[in-house]
Amino acid sequence: MRQGGSMERRTILKAAGASLAVAGLGATATACGSGSGSGDGTVTIRYSWWGAEDRAQRINKTIALFEKKYPKIKVKTDFQQYADFWKKFNTQASGGNPPDVFQNAIGFLRKYDAKNVLLDLGEQVKAGNLSMDGFRAGLEKFGEVDGKLLGVPVGSNSMALVIDKPVYTRAGVTPEPGWTWDDFDAAMKRIRDRTGRAGDSGMYGVMYLYDLYLRQHGKAFFTEDALGFTEADLTDWWTKAERGVKEGVYADAKKVVQVKPKSAVSAELAGSEFTWDNFTVRYTSEGKSEYGLAPIPTTDGKKTGQYLGSLMLSASKRTQHPKEVAQFIDFMVHDPEVAKIMGYDRGVPATQAQFDAFQPDDEVNKAIAAYETSLVESGVLETITPHPSGADVCEAAFLRIAEEMALGKRSVEDAVKQFFTESKTALAG
Amino acid sequence: MSARATDVTPVTPARTTARRRRLPGSLAWHLGSLAVLAVILYPVVWVIGGSFKRGEDIVGSLDLFPSDPITGNYTRLTEGIADIPISTFFVNSLLLAVGSVAGILLSCSLTAYAFAKIRFAGRNLLFTLMIGTLLLPYHVLLIPQYVLFRNLDMINTYTPLLLGKYLATEAFFVFLMVQFMRNLPRELDEAARLDGCGHLRIYWSIVLPLCRPALITSAIFTFINSWNDFMGPLIYLNDPEKYTVSLGLKMFVDQEGLADYGGMIAMSLVALLPVLAFFLAFQRYLIDGMATSGLKG
Repeated sequence: MRQGGSMERRTILKAAGASLAVAGLGATATACGSGSGSGDGTVTIRYSWWGAEDRAQRINKTIALFEKKYPKIKVKTDFQQYADFWKKFNTQASGGNPPDVFQNAIGFLRKYDAKNVLLDLGEQVKAGNLSMDGFRAGLEKFGEVDGKLLGVPVGSNSMALVIDKPVYTRAGVTPEPGWTWDDFDAAMKRIRDRTGRAGDSGMYGVMYLYDLYLRQHGKAFFTEDALGFTEADLTDWWTKAERGVKEGVYADAKKVVQVKPKSAVSAELAGSEFTWDNFTVRYTSEGKSEYGLAPIPTTDGKKTGQYLGSLMLSASKRTQHPKEVAQFIDFMVHDPEVAKIMGYDRGVPATQAQFDAFQPDDEVNKAIAAYETSLVESGVLETITPHPSGADVCEAAFLRIAEEMALGKRSVEDAVKQFFTESKTALAG
Repeated sequence: MSARATDVTPVTPARTTARRRRLPGSLAWHLGSLAVLAVILYPVVWVIGGSFKRGEDIVGSLDLFPSDPITGNYTRLTEGIADIPISTFFVNSLLLAVGSVAGILLSCSLTAYAFAKIRFAGRNLLFTLMIGTLLLPYHVLLIPQYVLFRNLDMINTYTPLLLGKYLATEAFFVFLMVQFMRNLPRELDEAARLDGCGHLRIYWSIVLPLCRPALITSAIFTFINSWNDFMGPLIYLNDPEKYTVSLGLKMFVDQEGLADYGGMIAMSLVALLPVLAFFLAFQRYLIDGMATSGLKG
């Protein structure tokens, strides 16, 4: 029976070995390439960004160009869609393993600066690895926080009113620069009455639009470390919204939620929506109509409160290769060939050289270029202060609570209270 | 059913009236089931129909079938996503799923054997602690685990996703198998012991074959969990070439840029097939195992 005993052990070990081998196969087949430096001086940097596959193909092409010019630097990419990107980034940053260079936005600068994640690229500018010359409309200051250069803009976008052109034509509404909120409200009613479609998709939940409205009144959504408006301000804004939803000038929130991730405009629930001008590219790909850009309504007929928003490239403090990362960013923001490949995918190119290199040949991108140029020329643009740490949480809460209010799950009073409670916690942390 | 009730003449009057009385009830029951079935199947049929629609017709439309069917969504898949062939994602997912199933079956059943069949000091305490791990939310473990695997230099490999499965960390499956093994008659392993078997032999030759229903259940659940797992691969895998199907599915649409709902919906349908095939293949054994396990002893 002893013999039987060793036999049985062998069978089991074999089975265990076989299954471990399956696992091992997976591990060894993929374990190579995690190191970032090798003997011949070749350096590998990790580059993460959010987007979908169309952007992935463009970025892969620009990286091929970069690797040709800098044969000693290899770039490994990693991408997800927006929300998943930040989930992953947050885990990686907390785990001390953030990518060397990554796409970033204004709402995250102070947050990750406070967590000591972002590299001050100012050093690299001084060392001559990164040039901050040739940016349009003062964008070179965009990624600066307390004198530190934490992000380099790759493109600029602005808030706009994205409109379904045929619907506006049918309703006989022509938005002009300098139109007021009263004009806007009348236009929304007119669209509802003449086309049977809601005028707007639900502007009350768009933090960046409310920010503009507040700026027109000399306030702002955020100060350097807190909210820049009172509960009374928000109560006014949302009371008007609640009335609009009831009257049908804003789209039925229930339906708007149902068509997500499609936008309410391309799903033909609303005639227009306040959002970033480069979102028209997506709307055109998912909707059947023609989409255009209209100016932001004003309070005094002049001031829109607008500023250029922007996607940025940031580097992480833990990178082993700050010089190579700086060279990479420099190449991506200045090289004219890169602009020809990327187009307006991440907004209108931030540097003049790249802006001149790409001439859009389709209606949508031409409209974006014209809109951005008109903003710069009309001089309405203001400077923006980087959002406080926790701003991203506030933005998400603003959108969610406004939606709950529009769905009738919360009263205006309750919604305002809830938002202030949640943002206080977020901004304190 | 109703036809048989009227055709069959040699029945006692009492039974006929009983049948007649039951008929409306049975009809209602069937109609009710069909209505529920329609509700359950509607989304599935919608997805199938949607995969033949144009991208801009998909979201927001309740129509089951396209007015003008296209196959472009499927041919588009052959181009791959972001320069990576679709098959890469499927091979990766399959590797992970099969690896997970093998790990769970072996490690959890061995652990369960110890808890169910061996008396040792601290058994109840250890068992309680193991069940206690079920109460730990995933998000609490996320960052410590990430740091651990980073220090072991295992990020961007499949090891973090598989290792735990080979160490019986899935308390649910251990629990399931323990409960199953406790119900096996003690006489069987006592008989084996009298014949001179050690623990490993009893485990391998007596208990494991009798546990087949529990093993199959665990295998099906593990396969589906691993196939659908999103957070794990999202956090641990960095190269798009190593991504799984669940990550690949999310590459079609982002808030900025072009949206490709057609490709996304066609791929979701293709992604369903392996899970469906696995379930169909093993569900047969599940029923078979239940029916015969009592007799095999």
